[in-house]
Amino acid sequence: MRNISSVLGRLAKSISISLVLLFAVTMTSNAQDAKEGAALFKSNCSSCHKIDKKMTGPALAGMSERHSEEWLVKWIKNSGALIAAGDETAIRVFEEYNKVAMPAFTQFSDDQIKSIITYVKDEEAKAAAAPAAGAAGGAEKSEANSFMIIGMAAILILAIGVIFILSRITKTLEKVIANNQAAIDAAQVRNEAYEESGKVKFAQKFLKNKKLVGFTALMVVAFLAVLGWNTMWHVGVHQGYQPVQPIKFSHQVHAGVNQIECQYCHGGAFKSKNASIPSANVCMNCHNTITASDHYDGETSPELLKLYRAVDWDPDTRTYGDNQRPIQWIRIHNLPDFAYFNHSQHVSVSGIECQTCHGPVETMEEVYQYSPLTMKWCIECHQTREVNTDNKYYDKLIEAHEKLKKGEKLTAAMIGGLECGKCHY
Amino acid sequence: MKENMLVMNKKNFLSAVCIAVSFAAVTTACGDGKTRSTGLEFSPNMYDAIAYNPDQPNNNFKNGSTAQTPPANTTPVGFDKFGADYANTPADYERAGAELVNPLPVTKENLAKGEHLYLVNCAVCHGKDGKGDGSITKDREVTDSRGTRKLENFPNPPAYLRSVAANSSRGGAMADLSAGKIYHTIFYGLNTMGSHASQLNNDERWEVVMYVQELQKK
Repeated sequence: MRNISSVLGRLAKSISISLVLLFAVTMTSNAQDAKEGAALFKSNCSSCHKIDKKMTGPALAGMSERHSEEWLVKWIKNSGALIAAGDETAIRVFEEYNKVAMPAFTQFSDDQIKSIITYVKDEEAKAAAAPAAGAAGGAEKSEANSFMIIGMAAILILAIGVIFILSRITKTLEKVIANNQAAIDAAQVRNEAYEESGKVKFAQKFLKNKKLVGFTALMVVAFLAVLGWNTMWHVGVHQGYQPVQPIKFSHQVHAGVNQIECQYCHGGAFKSKNASIPSANVCMNCHNTITASDHYDGETSPELLKLYRAVDWDPDTRTYGDNQRPIQWIRIHNLPDFAYFNHSQHVSVSGIECQTCHGPVETMEEVYQYSPLTMKWCIECHQTREVNTDNKYYDKLIEAHEKLKKGEKLTAAMIGGLECGKCHY
Repeated sequence: MKENMLVMNKKNFLSAVCIAVSFAAVTTACGDGKTRSTGLEFSPNMYDAIAYNPDQPNNNFKNGSTAQTPPANTTPVGFDKFGADYANTPADYERAGAELVNPLPVTKENLAKGEHLYLVNCAVCHGKDGKGDGSITKDREVTDSRGTRKLENFPNPPAYLRSVAANSSRGGAMADLSAGKIYHTIFYGLNTMGSHASQLNNDERWEVVMYVQELQKK
C-alpha cells in the first residue's frame, strides 16, 4: 500500500515539476511581454475583468480559444466600431453582457494588446498548474496516511497482546479467590460496617464544630447576597450584551482592516437621530464583486450567500430578483423609549468619536455593548464635556439675547414657536 | 449552639465575614463580562413603547418590516427627481452630462463638506487623492478566531487625476468627466460600483461632485 502511494506521489510530483518547467520555459520566452501585459492589465482591464471569474465583463480565461487573436485585437481597440460594423460575434458578446459597452483602447498598439493576451494566457496556465501541484500535495498526504495506518495496526497488535495477558492474570486470580472464599466474605462484612460508621462520624464531627457550620452558612449567605446585589444593579443594563447575529459580520475585517469609515454604512449617525443599520444594498456595493471565494474552494462564502438570498441577487447574471427578504439583525444598543438620544447632535455638533461610547468596534469580530448606557453614565460625561458653541444654534441664541438686552420685541414665533414639532411630537 | 456562636471571637468572626464576602465577590465576577442574554428586565412595558420603531418587525405590512419604501411616483421631502428625469442608460448618462450643472456655488464650505463626504463614502475604493488606490484595493490580512488569512482585493477603479490620464469605461478621459456624468454615476453606479443614491441625498451628491472635479484638476 505504502509502495503504491509513494509511487503515485513520485509520479504526480515529476509530472507537476515537468509542467512547471514547461510553463517556466514558455514564460521566460514571453516574460517581457507578460510583464508589460501585467502592468497594462492592472491599470486598464482589472476594474471590469478577472481571469477566472465573471465580473462586469466576461472571465478572460480561454478567450484565445474562443476568439482569434486578430479579432481580439480589433475588439480591444474599438469594440464599438466592431459592433457598429455588424460583426456577429461582437454583437453576441455585447448582448450577452447586458449591452455594457467596453471602452475603446485606441491608444494601445497591436503589440501592447498582444502582450495583454500573453499575460492572460500565462495566468491561465498558472491557474491550471495550481490543481496539479495540489494533486502532488494530495499524494504526499496519502503517504502520510499510509504511515498512520501502519502505526495504527501496530497499536492494535499491541492492544490484543495486552488483552491476552490480562485475561490470563484474571483467570489465575479467580482461581485464588475460589480457594479462599470464606475468609474473604468475613473481611468484607467487617469493612462495610467500618465505612458506615466513618461517614456518620464525619457528619457528627462537622455538626459539632459550630464555628465550621457558622462559616459555611456565612459563605452561602454572602455568595447569594453578592449575586443578588450584582443582578439587581444590572436589571435593564445590557453592558456586555453580545447576541448571535444572523450573518457573521466582522467589524474587525470591515472597519478595522479594510478601514471603511463607520459612516459609510451607518450614514444616519451624522445627520439623524438614529445611526441606522445599513440596508443590504450598501453591502452589495462591494459584495457584488467580493465573494471571499479564496477561502471556500472557489465557492461564495456561506455568510455572503445569506446576503445574496436577502437581496435576491443572482451572481451569474449579476441581476436582482424581486423576492427580497430583510436581514433580521439583532439590536444590541437599545435605549428605553422614555429616553431621547440623538446621534447627529453628538457626532456632527459635538464631534464625539464613535468609539467614545461604542468602544473599539474596529477590533471586535463580534460586536458587544461596550458602555452601560445608564443615566449615571450619560450624566458623568455631560458634567465635564465642554460645549462646542461654533454653530448656528448658538449664533441664534446669542442674537436673541442681544435683542432682549436692547429691549427689542421678541415673540415666541421668533424663537421657533411655530415649529410643528414643538407641540406635535 | 447559640452560646458557642456568641463565644466565637469577634475578630475571628469579622475575618470570617471578610473571607466569605471576598470569595463570593470573586466567584460572581468570573467571565469576560460578555453575555448572550439581555438579563433581567424590570417593567419592560416602560422600556419598549407600543409604537413601532423603524427597524422593528411589523406584521401589519406584507413584507413584515416597519420601514416601507415610499409608494411609486411620490417624491419624499428632501429627495429629488433625478431618477425620474434620467434613466440608468448610456444615452441618459450622456444627456445628464450635457444638461446638468452643479447647482451649488463653489465655496470653501461646500468643498469642505464635499471632501468629508468623499473621504467617508468614496475614498475606500477611489483613494484619498482619487488615484483609484483606496484601502480595500490593497493587499491586507486579518487575524481573528478563524486564524490569519488574506482578504480579497477590490479591483482598482480608474483614477480621476489629469496627471494619470485614465479612461472612463464609457469613453473619454476620467479627468474630463462633466458634473452631470459624475452625478449620474453616483446615483446609479457603474460597472462594479454600486448605486450610492441611498447613502447621499441630492445636495450631498453635488458636494461630492464638486470635490471630485477639484481632484480632476490635479
